[in-house]
Amino acid sequence: MTAFEPKIIALVCNWCAYTAADLAGTSRLSYPAHIRMIRMMCTGMIDSKYILKAFLDGADGVFVGGCHPGDCHYIDGNLKAKKRILGTGKILEQFGFEPERLRLRWIGASEGPEFQQNMTDFVTAIKTLGPGQTNNRMVL
Amino acid sequence: MIRYALVKNRSPVHAVKSVLEKMLSQKLVDAILAAARNPYSLLPMPTLFCDPGKMEGIDPLAPVAPFNAARQAAAVTKQPTGKRIALVLRPCEQRALIELVKLKQCSLENVILIGVECLGRLENQAYIQHASEVSDFTSVFYKNPDMQAEVTRACGVCEQFTPAGVDLTISLLGAPEGGVGITAETETGDTLITQLELAVADEPESRAAAVGKLLQGRIAARDALFKATVEKINHIEKFQELIATCLSCHSCRISCPVCYCKECVFITDIFAHPPETLLRRAMKRGAVKLPTDTTMFHLTRLAHMSHACVGCGHCSSVCPSNIPVADIFRTVAAQTQALFDYQPGRDISEPIPYLVFEEELSESSV
Ligand code: SF4
Ligand code: SF4
Ligand code: FES
Repeated sequence: MTAFEPKIIALVCNWCAYTAADLAGTSRLSYPAHIRMIRMMCTGMIDSKYILKAFLDGADGVFVGGCHPGDCHYIDGNLKAKKRILGTGKILEQFGFEPERLRLRWIGASEGPEFQQNMTDFVTAIKTLGPGQTNNRMVL
Repeated sequence: MIRYALVKNRSPVHAVKSVLEKMLSQKLVDAILAAARNPYSLLPMPTLFCDPGKMEGIDPLAPVAPFNAARQAAAVTKQPTGKRIALVLRPCEQRALIELVKLKQCSLENVILIGVECLGRLENQAYIQHASEVSDFTSVFYKNPDMQAEVTRACGVCEQFTPAGVDLTISLLGAPEGGVGITAETETGDTLITQLELAVADEPESRAAAVGKLLQGRIAARDALFKATVEKINHIEKFQELIATCLSCHSCRISCPVCYCKECVFITDIFAHPPETLLRRAMKRGAVKLPTDTTMFHLTRLAHMSHACVGCGHCSSVCPSNIPVADIFRTVAAQTQALFDYQPGRDISEPIPYLVFEEELSESSV
C-alpha cells in the first residue's frame, strides 16, 4: 500500500499568511508539498462555499491563514472569518467531516518560520487522521 | 402585565372573524393581513383586507398554510406607507418575519403583530380534501385529536406553537367550546383589548395544563426525530443516499422564508459551469452526475441560513422528490443555533450571529 499523501487546501490572506509564505520561500524554509495555496485578499472574503467546495471535491483538510486580530487590513475581516469558520465547521462535523480537518490560524506577514511550522503541523495532523470521506468517492 | 380576554361565538372561526372585523370597522387599523379563502378555492391564502365587509372567507385558524406567509408580511411592510397594518401570523411565520426585520428586508413600524397559537398544519392537498367534505373544517380539526395527528412532520415536532413577542395572541388551548382566548402581551395589545371592548377574564385553569402536555409530547417527538436524522446524515455516503433523488429544482430554497438573498448564488454564473468545467470534473473522477453541486447546494444553504431556520417545514412540503429537507435542516440547525446560543425570531434585539464579531476571539478554538 502506498503512503497516504493528503490533499490540503490553504486559503491564505494576501497581507499576512501569504506574505509569510513568501518570506518562508525566500528564507528557504521548506514546507510539505501537500499544501495547495489559494491567495485571498482577506480571510473576511472566505464564504463557507469555498470551504465546502474544497471538502466536497476531495480535500483532506482545509487551512485558513489570516492576520492577527487587530491587524486585518479591512478592520474585522478576520473576525468575520472566525465566526463563519466556526459555523461551517459545525455543519461539516454533522456530515461526518472531523472538525480537526478545518483549521484557522493567525500568521503575521513577518512570521515565515511560524508559517512553515503551521503547515508542517497541519499536514502531520491530517496524515494521522487518514484520508477524508470524499477522497475517491462520487459526490452528487 | 398579561391580560386575557375570552371571545365566544358560534365557533372559534367566527370568534376570530368578529374580532378582526371589529378592528377594521372601528378603524383601529387600516388593513389586516390574514389567511382567507377566496371564492375560487378552499385553500386559504394570505389576503390583505381593508374593508370589513369583505372578510367572509377569513380563517387564520385553518390548519393549513400554502407557504410561509412571512414573505407576504414583508411585502406589505418593506416600505413605510403611513398606514397601520395588523399581521395575523402563525408562530413560525412571525419568527421568520422577525429574522427578515433584522435583515432590514421589512420593518415593524406601524405594525400590529397578532400571533395565532398553532397546533400544526396539514399538507395543502390533505387540507383541501377535508375541507371539501365538511363545512367549517377548522372547528372540526380543533375538536378531533385524530385529525391533529395528521399535521406535517415539521409541525409534529414543533415546540414553539405558542406565539411569543407579539401584541396579541389568539389561543385555542384551554378555551371553552366555541371560544378563543385573546392575550395581550404588550401595551399596544392591551390598549386594543380595551378599545375592542373584549370580555377580560381569568385565563382558564385548563390552559396551562393543555399547553404543558402538548409541549412535552412535541419535545419528545423532536428529540426522536433529531436522533433518527443524525443517523441518516452523519457520513457523507448516507447523506448522498438521502438526497440521491434531489432534482435540483431549488423549490426548497424558494419556499424558505429565511433564505434571505435577493439573488441566490446557485442561479448565478458561478454555478452555470461551462462545458470544459463539466468535462474536467468528469475526467478527474471518472464520472460526474448532472446537474452538479447538489450536495454543495444543500450544505451551502445550511451554512448560510441554518442559524435562522424556524422549522416551518415548507421546504419538505414543496419537495417533489419527498426528500425530508426540513428534518435535515432542523436537525443541523439545532447545532448551529446552539453554537451561537441563537434562536431565530426569539428577540428582535438579538443580533444575527454572523453580524457581530468579538475582538477577543482567538483562533485556537477552531
Ligand atoms: S429551511 Fe425549511 S424548515 Fe427551515 S425555515 Fe426554511 S423552509 Fe422552514
Ligand atoms: S425541493 Fe427537493 S428536489 Fe427540489 S432542490 Fe429541494 S431537495 Fe432537491
Ligand atoms: S487582511 Fe488579512 S485577514 Fe483581513
